[in-house]
Amino acid sequence: MFCFLALIVFAIMGIFSASNRELAKEALACVFTRVTFRPCRTNFKDKTKAMLLGKLVTRSAVVAKFVNKNFELLSWAFFILSVVSTIWVAKGVYDYYLYGNCNGLNSSGFCVFDPKGLNSSVSSLNEKCYVKPPTEANVTLKNSNFSSFPVKNPQAKKKIIFIGCYLCDYTRAAYPQIKQLLKQNPDVSFTFAHFPVKAGSSYLSNYDYCTYKEDPKKFWNFNDLLFSSSKADLYDNPSYADKEAVKAGYNLDQLHACINSAATKTAVEAQQNEIIKTGIYGTPTIFIDGTPYIGPKPYRVYEHGLKPWFLF
Amino acid sequence: MNVSSIRQDFPLLRKDKPVVYFDSACQSLRPQQVIDALVEYYSEYPACGGRSTHRLADRVTKEVEKARETVRKFIKAAKKEEIVFTRNTTEGINLIAHSLGLQKGDVVISSDKEHNSDLIPWQVLVEQVGIEHIIVPSRENNTFDLAAFEHILQKQKSVKLVAMCFTSNLDSNTIPAAEIIKLSHKKGALVLLDGAVTIAHQPIDVRKLDVDFLVFSGHKICGPSGIGVLYGKQKLLEKLSPFMVGGDTVAWSTYTTHEFLPVPEKFEAGLQDYAGIIGLGKALEYVEKIGLDNIAKHEKELTVYMAELLGQIPNMHIIGPDAKERGSITSFYIPGIDSHQIALMLSESANIMVRSGQHCVHSWFAKRNIKGSVRISLSFYNTKEEIEYFGKQLKKVVSVLG
Repeated sequence: MFCFLALIVFAIMGIFSASNRELAKEALACVFTRVTFRPCRTNFKDKTKAMLLGKLVTRSAVVAKFVNKNFELLSWAFFILSVVSTIWVAKGVYDYYLYGNCNGLNSSGFCVFDPKGLNSSVSSLNEKCYVKPPTEANVTLKNSNFSSFPVKNPQAKKKIIFIGCYLCDYTRAAYPQIKQLLKQNPDVSFTFAHFPVKAGSSYLSNYDYCTYKEDPKKFWNFNDLLFSSSKADLYDNPSYADKEAVKAGYNLDQLHACINSAATKTAVEAQQNEIIKTGIYGTPTIFIDGTPYIGPKPYRVYEHGLKPWFLF
Repeated sequence: MNVSSIRQDFPLLRKDKPVVYFDSACQSLRPQQVIDALVEYYSEYPACGGRSTHRLADRVTKEVEKARETVRKFIKAAKKEEIVFTRNTTEGINLIAHSLGLQKGDVVISSDKEHNSDLIPWQVLVEQVGIEHIIVPSRENNTFDLAAFEHILQKQKSVKLVAMCFTSNLDSNTIPAAEIIKLSHKKGALVLLDGAVTIAHQPIDVRKLDVDFLVFSGHKICGPSGIGVLYGKQKLLEKLSPFMVGGDTVAWSTYTTHEFLPVPEKFEAGLQDYAGIIGLGKALEYVEKIGLDNIAKHEKELTVYMAELLGQIPNMHIIGPDAKERGSITSFYIPGIDSHQIALMLSESANIMVRSGQHCVHSWFAKRNIKGSVRISLSFYNTKEEIEYFGKQLKKVVSVLG
């Protein structure tokens, strides 16, 4: 058993040190003889055991004695731990590839491949004071109705609902990925819901509501213009939004009439309530066929969400 | 003998935290003087000896002959022509085994503690030529049984060769060489002594012993590795056919004939290890300066002290006779504890280098069904403090493995 364990350990350590690579080779030879039911002639186990005990005895003779007496048992224990941790690492790599985080979809736990946690970062709804902090498990579309939000291709079977904020960096990072995804998959329904997390962006909810109401076709161009604008230009700046609306082909008089109406105010409030009911705690939160993807994920993650592999 | 000052000559021992080197029976450490001689050869006159005539070659030839003379004096041979340079002890023994012209039925006698280098050549000749190889069993305390030897000798019609390990590399017990040689000569047998261990630990006088052949290696007496010596009485060497022939063994040759050079050249085929020969000369000069009698006395004290310390460890089995009858080697085993593990742990935990296993005397271990032993082989540069330290560390290791 020791040979198997040593092979795993030294193979990993061998990545960093040539002397460990030599030990890994010896361990491999030992494993090979074991699996072919021949006696191990390299004395690898005894050699490594003695080296280990030699190191240990300088620190504690009692510990060294314990290790010597229970070497086989400890080898088994470490072997099992190695197998478990190897599976765990493999799962981490798998999760990172599919979900952008080693700990699974939307987890904010530490991931060595994304040490800064950028793939799970959101612009938080920090104006809220929760008794219990929200978790990704509570984010759902079940209680919300997104029919009043701008939607493209509503009849399509596959659906993406993008909840984002024009002034939020993470939303801005995710939006091009989703646009690319839609370009590659035109037969997908896409709903955009602006949720003003950052100060200075609330007014844009009215613009969104009214531009879509005035002309749904022109809305997507307007939406793109807002995302391609600088945050400084957009910050609490209706006149800038006006300019962009004109660029998109809207009539400002009609648009202002809508924006300033009481009905719009009520409708936008209703929309915000529908978003809040999803339980989101930051933007972007993107629902792909009902599954929330919180934070800006790599493109492959969204793609996998839209076209899952056969088993997963 | 000032051991502290001697230790300063050895690069490995003048470090801040020097190793405790107890494996001198395998290879001794080399003093700076020997290392310098090797460096000097390679950097100042790295030419061929005995062939070219230019200045550098001439210096090589002179240095080689000077080394040959040093060897002659060291073993008190009559003539330097009796000194043949070989690669090591093993080559020396093989040279005799193949050059002596042993025939089917010829008898060769050895002890039961022979190193493989003095066992396998005879076993091969048993298979290939049909010689008879007889082993003399040791006494119960692992010392040479002279009576048993005499009995075997008398039982044989004739004996061609007695090939014995002068001092055992297993327990450093020295055989009564003078008596063995006397008895052997009486029977008309030649005597070959394997002096690999003896050479570095006690004075050898080949003429006084009247030994026919003596072989030893440079690496066991502070010399370079890859160089050894075969001493042979000139008359005998002249009768032997060379074991290996070729360049520098002949005076001249035609397409069909040749004439061999006189001894020792006819046995020194091919380009020689000049650096090794010169280094060996320096090593012998160095040891001579310290004095083999001083060395033997110092090592005996250490061995006796070592035996005292080892005696304090339960289940300790020391191979061979009492420490007073042994030289600088102490081999021991503790049933149930693997000797390699002890050696590895001492190396890892305490920077102590000892040999473990069967020390190329597999036959002895096989007969007694002993897995192996730890071998401590001391030299003149070892100290009592090192032995004390070793004793403490060994107890610790045994407590872990026991």
